[in-house]
Amino acid sequence: MRKLIASIRKESLILLHDKIGLILMFLMPILLVFIITIVQNSAFQLVSENRLDILVVNKDEGNLGDSLIVLLERSGSFAVSTNKSISFKALRKQTIDQKKLMGIYIPPNFSKQTNLSSRKVSQLILTEFGAIAKQKFKEQVNPNKQITVFFDPVLQANFRLSMTEGLQTILASLERENMLRQLFTDMGYNEIPSEIRAELNHPDKGIVSLPASSGEAAQIPNSTQHNVPAWSLFAMFFMVISLGGNLVKERLSGSFVRLQTIPSAFLLLVVSKIFVYLIVSLVQLAFLFFLGVYIFPHIGLPQLNMPTNLLSVIVVSGLSAFAAINYALLVGTYAKTQEQANGFGAISIIIFAAIGGIWVPSFVMPSYLQAIGKISPLNWCIDGFYTLFLKNGAWNELLGTIIYLILFSIGCQLLILLKLKKQNYI
Amino acid sequence: MSSAVIQIKDLVKHYPKAERPSVDNIDLEIQPGEKFGFFGPNGAGKTSIINMLCNICQPNAGTISYYLNNKQQTVRQILPSIGYVPQDFAFYPELTPVQNLRYFGSLYNFPKKDLALKIDELLTILGLDHVRNKKINTFSGGMKRRINLGIGLINDPQILFLDEPTVGVDVQSKLVIISLLDQLNQKGTTIIYTSHHLKEAEDFCDRIALLDNGKIITVGALVPLITENKVANLEELLIKLTGKTLRD
Repeated sequence: MRKLIASIRKESLILLHDKIGLILMFLMPILLVFIITIVQNSAFQLVSENRLDILVVNKDEGNLGDSLIVLLERSGSFAVSTNKSISFKALRKQTIDQKKLMGIYIPPNFSKQTNLSSRKVSQLILTEFGAIAKQKFKEQVNPNKQITVFFDPVLQANFRLSMTEGLQTILASLERENMLRQLFTDMGYNEIPSEIRAELNHPDKGIVSLPASSGEAAQIPNSTQHNVPAWSLFAMFFMVISLGGNLVKERLSGSFVRLQTIPSAFLLLVVSKIFVYLIVSLVQLAFLFFLGVYIFPHIGLPQLNMPTNLLSVIVVSGLSAFAAINYALLVGTYAKTQEQANGFGAISIIIFAAIGGIWVPSFVMPSYLQAIGKISPLNWCIDGFYTLFLKNGAWNELLGTIIYLILFSIGCQLLILLKLKKQNYI
Repeated sequence: MSSAVIQIKDLVKHYPKAERPSVDNIDLEIQPGEKFGFFGPNGAGKTSIINMLCNICQPNAGTISYYLNNKQQTVRQILPSIGYVPQDFAFYPELTPVQNLRYFGSLYNFPKKDLALKIDELLTILGLDHVRNKKINTFSGGMKRRINLGIGLINDPQILFLDEPTVGVDVQSKLVIISLLDQLNQKGTTIIYTSHHLKEAEDFCDRIALLDNGKIITVGALVPLITENKVANLEELLIKLTGKTLRD
C-alpha cells in the first residue's frame, strides 16, 4: 500500500507541475463549454426570440404585397425594412450593403397572379359542388413562384431553411385568406363571414412541443442541456494530450528503464496514473456541471438541470473517465514520440467526437457513418449522458453504454499490457 | 554452488532487424565484492549485457544466475538487491531530489523513517543537501549525474550496475562519484561498470572484460592483461585488441 501511495503522490506532483496539461484539462473545457453553449444559445435565440432583419422591396401593383408586409411584421419573427425604389438587380447588393439577412422582392404582378390563382381554385370548387356550370379557365396562371428571396451568404443552410419556411407559412396564410375571400365573393358575399374568419384565425392552433421521455420528468432540451455534457466529455477525452504525452515523455526520459529494475514498479505506475487521472477527470466534470448549474443562469444562459438519478451520473461519468484514461494510456504506450502521441491523440479524439455525435447528432449522419460511429467511445458516453440529461432515463437504458465502456477499457488495457510485456516492462 | 555472485552462460542477445547479435555467446563470472568493468568500442555489447543483467531486456539464449545470500536467484528475484545507474538521466526532473529519492525508495518498501534517514545520508554524501527541495531541472549536469547515482543507491544495493556514471561531469563531481563508489565497494558492494573514460576505469576496476562485436576478447585483472599484451595502459590494450577501425 505504501508503494501505491508513493506512486500516486508522485503522479499528483508531476501533474501539478505540468501547467500546460492542467490548463488543457481545466481552462480549455471551460472555454469550450462556455463558447459553444453561448454560440448555440445565440443561434437558437436568433431564430426563436430575436427579429431577423429583412429588406422588402414591394413592386406589387395590387394590395396583396402590402398585406404580405403587414403579415411579416405581425409574425414577430422579422424586423421589416421596406424600400420601393430598389430594383430587382440592386436588391441582391442592397441586402448585403444594408446588413440584412434576407431581401424579399415582391414583383409587380404578385396580386394579379395570386388573385388569378384564387379565382381558378374558387371556380373549380364551385364547379365541383355543382354551383356553376363547368367552364374552361381562360386566363393563364403562372405556376412559378412569384416572390424572390436573396439571402446573406453567411447564413447556414438550416437558417436559410428556417427563414424560408417562415416566409412560406405567412405566404400560405395570405393565399388561403385570398382564396376564401374569392370563393365567398363568387358565391355572392361581400366578404368572408366574421364567424368563419374568427375560426380561421383562432390563436389555439399552434403546436405544443414536449420532450419524449421514458422517465417521469424529462428535461426541456436547451443549449446548456446538450452542450455541457457533450463538450465536457470531449474535454475529458482530450486529456489524452496530457496523459499520453506524459507517458511517452516518462518512457523516453529513462525513468521507465529504472522502473524496470524495481520489482512491480510498473503495474503500480499504471494503477497510480489511472487513479490520479480518474480523480482529475471527475473533478473536471463536476466543475463543469457546477458551472452549468450555478454560473450559466447568471450570464443569461439556460441552467443545467441535473438528472434525478445522481448515482447513475456518477457511474456513467466514472466509466467515461476510465475509458478516456485507458485510451490515453494506450496512445502513450504505442506512440514512439511525444509529438506522435499529441498529434495522433488529438486527431483521433476529434474523429471520435465527430463520428460519435458530439458535434452533430448521430441520427443526421448517413447510416454507414452511424454504424462506424458505434466504435467511438464518445458515442457511447454521449448516449449515456443524453439518456440521463435529456431523457432522465433509467438504469436499464444505460446498459449498452455501461457494457461498451467496460469492454472498451478492458480492450485498451489488454493492448497496453501486451505492448509492455513485449517491451519487457512487466 | 558457484562462488561467483553473477554467472553468465552462453548469453545471446540479437535485436530484431539487427544484422548480427549484440551479445554473442558470452560466458562470464563476476565475484562478490569485485569492481568489474566492461569496455569496448561503440556497439561492442556492453550496455546490452548490463541491460540483461538488470532485467531491462531479455536474452535470446543463455542463462544469467545470481548467487546471493547462499542461494541461486534469477534476475527478477534479485531485483530488490541491485542498484542501477543508467547512462541517461533516469529521474523526474520536474520533481526535487527528495521527492525523487522518496518515490524510488518507497518502491522498495522501506519503512518511512529509515527512508528519510537514507535520503538525508545520500544527499549529504552527494553534496546535494543544500538543493534538496529544488527542482532537478534547474541543476547543472554534474548535480544531475550525482542525483542519478543517488537514486541507484537508495536501496543499499548488494550489486550496483553503472553505465557511464561520470559522462559529461566536471572533475569535482567525478571525484565525489568515484570516491562514493570506492566506499560502497569497501563495504562489500559488487560494482559492475562501463565507461569511455579509460584512465578513470583503469584506476577504478579490479577486473575487466574487453568486448568487441558482442564477444569477449579478453577478461582478467587489469595489470596482468597490460603486462601480457606489452602495452602501457587500458587505452593501448583496447586499441591493440580491437583495432582502429571506426564502429558505427
